[in-house]
Amino acid sequence: MNEALQQVINRSDTWQGPFSNHRLCSNSDRHGQGDILHSGYSTLDAQLHSGGWPRGSGIEVLSDGCGLGSMGLFLPAMEKLSAEGRWQVFIAPPFTPYAPLLKARGIDTEQVLLVHPKSREDLLWATEQALRSTTSSAVFSWLGAHNYSYTELRKLQLAASASDSLSVLFRPLDAARNHAPASLRLQMREYRRVHILKQRGGNQGLDVDLPPAEDVPEHPQLWEVPVWQESPQAQSAFSFA
Amino acid sequence: MSLWLCLRFHQLPLQCLNRSEELAVAILVKQRVLRANDYAAGLGIREGMGAGTVRALLDNEAVQLLERDTTAEAQCLQQLCCWAYSITPSLHPYREDCLQLEIGSCLSLFRGLHRLLAEVRVGISNRGFRVEYGLAETPGAAWLLSFSDTDQVADYQNPLRDRLAPLPLSLLTEHVTAVDSLRRAGLHTFGCLFALPPAALARRCGAGFTEFLQQVLGQQADLRPDYQPPVNFSDEYWFGYEVRVNDELLPAVQLLLQSMCRFLRNTQLQTTEIHWQLVGIDHSLREICVRSTSGHSHWENWYQLTLIRFDQLELKTGVEGLNLACHQLHSGQLENIDLFSPRTQREPLSGLLDRLRNRLGLQAVEKVGTRSEHLPELALHICQDNPANENGGQLHNQRPFWLMPAPQALDRKQGRLRWQGKLELVYGPERIEDNWWQQAVSRDYYIARGDGGQHYWVFRDRLDTGWYIHGIFA
Repeated sequence: MNEALQQVINRSDTWQGPFSNHRLCSNSDRHGQGDILHSGYSTLDAQLHSGGWPRGSGIEVLSDGCGLGSMGLFLPAMEKLSAEGRWQVFIAPPFTPYAPLLKARGIDTEQVLLVHPKSREDLLWATEQALRSTTSSAVFSWLGAHNYSYTELRKLQLAASASDSLSVLFRPLDAARNHAPASLRLQMREYRRVHILKQRGGNQGLDVDLPPAEDVPEHPQLWEVPVWQESPQAQSAFSFA
Repeated sequence: MSLWLCLRFHQLPLQCLNRSEELAVAILVKQRVLRANDYAAGLGIREGMGAGTVRALLDNEAVQLLERDTTAEAQCLQQLCCWAYSITPSLHPYREDCLQLEIGSCLSLFRGLHRLLAEVRVGISNRGFRVEYGLAETPGAAWLLSFSDTDQVADYQNPLRDRLAPLPLSLLTEHVTAVDSLRRAGLHTFGCLFALPPAALARRCGAGFTEFLQQVLGQQADLRPDYQPPVNFSDEYWFGYEVRVNDELLPAVQLLLQSMCRFLRNTQLQTTEIHWQLVGIDHSLREICVRSTSGHSHWENWYQLTLIRFDQLELKTGVEGLNLACHQLHSGQLENIDLFSPRTQREPLSGLLDRLRNRLGLQAVEKVGTRSEHLPELALHICQDNPANENGGQLHNQRPFWLMPAPQALDRKQGRLRWQGKLELVYGPERIEDNWWQQAVSRDYYIARGDGGQHYWVFRDRLDTGWYIHGIFA
């Protein structure tokens, strides 16, 4: 075979479709089967081709507003990553994560770092630094509504693939129209439903429902609002006044 | 057995000022040549010549005639002391151009004299100095033997008197009258001197000379205070030309950091803060402080952190000099990476923290913690370092993932609450009352559903009857 072509095939980020069976573990889930980071939801694990969140490759989560349950999606993973004793970095988070909640979910809050970059360049720099560092187990970065060129995103994807951390980029829903180098792109339009927009080497273009039965019992449930004791409509908001 | 190594830097007055061999350089004292470089010596310039003779000899050659600078020499000698401190703890500067190192106690550390001398030779040649050395049981004798041509290592175990015997008495420039009277009596070498009875010698040459001789022979102690490393580190680098590009600063940065880390290792100290000072050509000073959460003694770590700061630096004026100082030093602590960690962590946790803080600023990186409080904004603790980690008990109620820094007032329109669209209360209330001893707070928290299906945490303040949003379920 052409030598240049062979070099391209040997790269870990070249997607080879169903023909890549023999080198599956070198293709985006290089940590093999012994080291799966389960998402905590069986329906989602079944659809993710590595059986859990891919480590060492970028995940993009697209949602509007403040993410309809997008953080709840990663709480079980954050809990498992707490055992590694490394940083879990939040870059440009929209607000402050409520630490008592993290703690109640078994996440070591001492590992959580909040980074507030002032400019778009600093945001990209900080994300890349966190991804490249061997001291972070999870990197969540809110890229915001800025426009990012493919090369900038590709740089982040390369940094992610050089590390073994869980790397998640949050972007607005509009970004779905543009091409992105992330190996897994998810869309969240409502609680408890994840749309897999793109998955390298796996199923894509389908909706995954997260069963309420798998919520952690005895812990504050994030998205499932319990039954209202009395009808809220019966009282107007101002009747208390 | 104590063994002294005397390092005599004969060319120190020259080499501390100028080390080029591309043109003739001579150091003058009172218009007489004190030292000249090899190039000048090749042209016939000798020590002790007058300045006029030098100019006459080199009529067309370029020549640099420099005045002797004794403060520069002393500074040079101090730096050499700082380096030699890594070889032996007991050393002191001697005369104007020598170092005396007591090496008898550290021969086993270096596994033999040969290895130790090799280390010394490499260290000195890296610093670009030329050295003569002598080995003897006393500092005075070691200094005298540094003038000898014999192989020091081969015969340092021979009797001291035999080794000193061939040396001329004219070396003792401090005892001119004594040496002069001995010369007139026909005594020219130490060998002749030792043949005389000591009492006769004392009568002829005086007490001072006898005392010196006894110190040389080890019959009388020659005590001097040991060199003590300075309390703070400070070093500087002069480019000698104007630097306008940041990258051109980096070799000097490396050199200074290496010298700092050598100092830190020798003194077993660490620092968490280093100060750079850029000296502009207009004598303007620019301070840059680089911090790190843990003290390192590896220069690479400091280099990486400094690079982050220098990348952002904009030089307004050309830079002429660079100064590095650390003011706060404390005893070393080790931070180790877990060897058996299954992950590929290659640096301490603080590495990432330092890099982020150095580029984004100290305030840009925060940690979160929990406090045992009822009010949500008090239960969440945000700070730069060491967040609280108190057990707040089990959470049984609904809590949002995101908490706003401060509750924001909600709009009311046509009897409905609004926050980026209409809000609909779907769950509640949960009453939180606290802080009555300071400023009483009484709130009824609800979960509200927005237009897009997003859930918010809102509350009604029972005291001012206003509605606020406090968190977002995500």
